[in-house]
Amino acid sequence: MGGASSQQGSQSEGKKKYQDDSLRPVTIKQLIECKESYPNSDMMLDGATLTQITFVGQVRSVNPQTTNTTYRLDDGTGVIDVKWWIDADKIDDDNDAANRQLTLDTYVRVWGRLMTFNGKKHVGAHCVRVVADFNEVNYHLLEATYVHLSLTRAAQPKQDDGDGMFVDGGYGAGAGAGAGGSGYSHEVSMRRARCSNKAQKVFDFLANFPNAGTDGVHANLVASSTGLSRVDVEAAGAELLEHGLTYVTLDDETWAVLEV
Amino acid sequence: MEATSNPRITCGYLNTYVGRNVIIVGKVIQLRGDEALIDADGNITVNLNRDAHLLPGNGVQIIGKVNPDLSVKALTSMDLGTAVDYDLANTVVEISHQHKGIFA
Repeated sequence: MGGASSQQGSQSEGKKKYQDDSLRPVTIKQLIECKESYPNSDMMLDGATLTQITFVGQVRSVNPQTTNTTYRLDDGTGVIDVKWWIDADKIDDDNDAANRQLTLDTYVRVWGRLMTFNGKKHVGAHCVRVVADFNEVNYHLLEATYVHLSLTRAAQPKQDDGDGMFVDGGYGAGAGAGAGGSGYSHEVSMRRARCSNKAQKVFDFLANFPNAGTDGVHANLVASSTGLSRVDVEAAGAELLEHGLTYVTLDDETWAVLEV
Repeated sequence: MEATSNPRITCGYLNTYVGRNVIIVGKVIQLRGDEALIDADGNITVNLNRDAHLLPGNGVQIIGKVNPDLSVKALTSMDLGTAVDYDLANTVVEISHQHKGIFA
């Protein structure tokens, strides 16, 4: 791995490389889209140097060769080739060969580095193993999202600060949020994410309603403004209450957001 | 690489993905011949292919195409056993739609 850099003997450079080494969880789409900041430099992703990576994917093809096994992996976000080099001392190891013969469509986890060869990206794998518990796939996708957000939204607090009632920015911050769901505190966006689309739409509307104050907004106004049916709005209202995102104010059908 | 990305969806997203290939993770509710009813935050009818081996009560990952009537034509199906965390799978779908930059 990293054979090209072995000529760089300088110790300080070696140290720097070592410090930058982190194991980053990624999606395949991130690998496909990431670029070098200038030719022959390190790959950059979300402003951080990409060194060691780990990801999961389904095996779409297996191509055994004399020096490596090439797999095509698919995680739903994209497809990438993974080359798993054969250790020289294991070349006649039947056990090793058997480990490499992965069944098609199984999920595997890969550890390795992103490489570019003739303008085509592939991953040089240190290690590939079969994912035994399917939930690991979902955990990985959340982990990759978490790291992506930590790097791209570093300015915002990464941890939720408990169930604080008061969030800096308040309604003003929510107004700029738009439909994307950004602009809410971590805790609120997590809870909002668990709601249905319609409930999210209603929540966005309530959070961005000017001068809603503590009186809240009536279901009729929500329905006419969002274009949702009354039945949908009532269901969405109940869902938001259930998730602790809103509270009732003047009557059972007037809601205000608890926090944004 | 647009053609190779399959968004992860639940029942609520079906109507926005008609004609596209998607990934659905859900629980097998019922099998009726070559049709299956899958619960992925709502029930989805899936038209299975011949080599599908689903078990009622087990989790399944379907990769398939959404038909205009919001049923799904399965291209591949994979049995996931019984230890699938469906809330987790549904959360991942929501998260993946909020952060399309790193998903499909």
